[in-house]
Amino acid sequence: MATTAYARYRRFVHTAPAEQERQQHERGLVVQAQGGSREAFAALVRLHQTRAFAVARAITLTREDAEDAVQDAFLHAYRALDRFRPDQPFGAWLNRIVANAALDIGRRRKVRDADQLPETVATPFRDPAVDAELRARLEEGLRKLTERQRSVIVLHDVQGYTHGEIGAMLSIPEGTARSDLHHARAALRRMLVDMRSAEP
Amino acid sequence: MTNQLRIGPEGRDDEVTRALRELYAAPDDPAYWERLEARIMANVVAEGEGWWQPYQEWMRTGLVAAGILVAAAALTLAELRTESRREAVTSVIETPRTLAHQMATETTGLPDREATLRLVTAP
Repeated sequence: MATTAYARYRRFVHTAPAEQERQQHERGLVVQAQGGSREAFAALVRLHQTRAFAVARAITLTREDAEDAVQDAFLHAYRALDRFRPDQPFGAWLNRIVANAALDIGRRRKVRDADQLPETVATPFRDPAVDAELRARLEEGLRKLTERQRSVIVLHDVQGYTHGEIGAMLSIPEGTARSDLHHARAALRRMLVDMRSAEP
Repeated sequence: MTNQLRIGPEGRDDEVTRALRELYAAPDDPAYWERLEARIMANVVAEGEGWWQPYQEWMRTGLVAAGILVAAAALTLAELRTESRREAVTSVIETPRTLAHQMATETTGLPDREATLRLVTAP
């Protein structure tokens, strides 16, 4: 226990200056971008596009929609850049914009995409036959969840965001994010349990 | 896989979480991210260069000219206001005397008795 706490302390001591430096660098880029530098904004895009994509992907059903959401979000951020205070964390501000853009795309495409399966990333599972079925079930289960439940479970269990961060992104109270996560996990488990029971 | 659900920390089903992570894994091809960045920046550049961009210089000149016109109009208006105020004050202070009043109060060259009488009987 003491070792763990010490290890955490050591990690903090070693990472804190790097984190401070990163924040300072980011703040500098924001100020330059606010001054009209497109190169600085491109650097901000490079720094944040992976996280932005992950947030968008957690909310949308397809990768294409996530890409559109990221693109829209960065454009919104560019337009609203003069209203952003550089002393605030840019990533958190951007994530809220990304989440809004993704939710907006989801609303607009809900009907059109209702019957389509989400695109999957070709990462091999241990047992292709069983895992393919698990993946198919999972995709089906995810589609049956509400948009908010799906977003919360992916943002928390896959992307590692806290309930508070998810609440801020989706404009819901932290308690609601917690409860959505609980219900989403329970629903997914229920949907997958049949398949598991049927296995020899 | 077994019939038992493998529940991890925080009540999480580790197997489902693993599958979710694989399903939602971000592309690891650098070319993918370069393409996405290029797409985003193309949009940003297009935003910066709207249809009004070629006319931006004209717009600036027009704005300066409009500013000068507004200033000139404001000066003229202020001048007109001052003039009309002056006229109003003059009209109040210097009310022209009527002919009857003028004749009645004109005492130059009259004997004292006549002048006094005129002043007393003046309207």
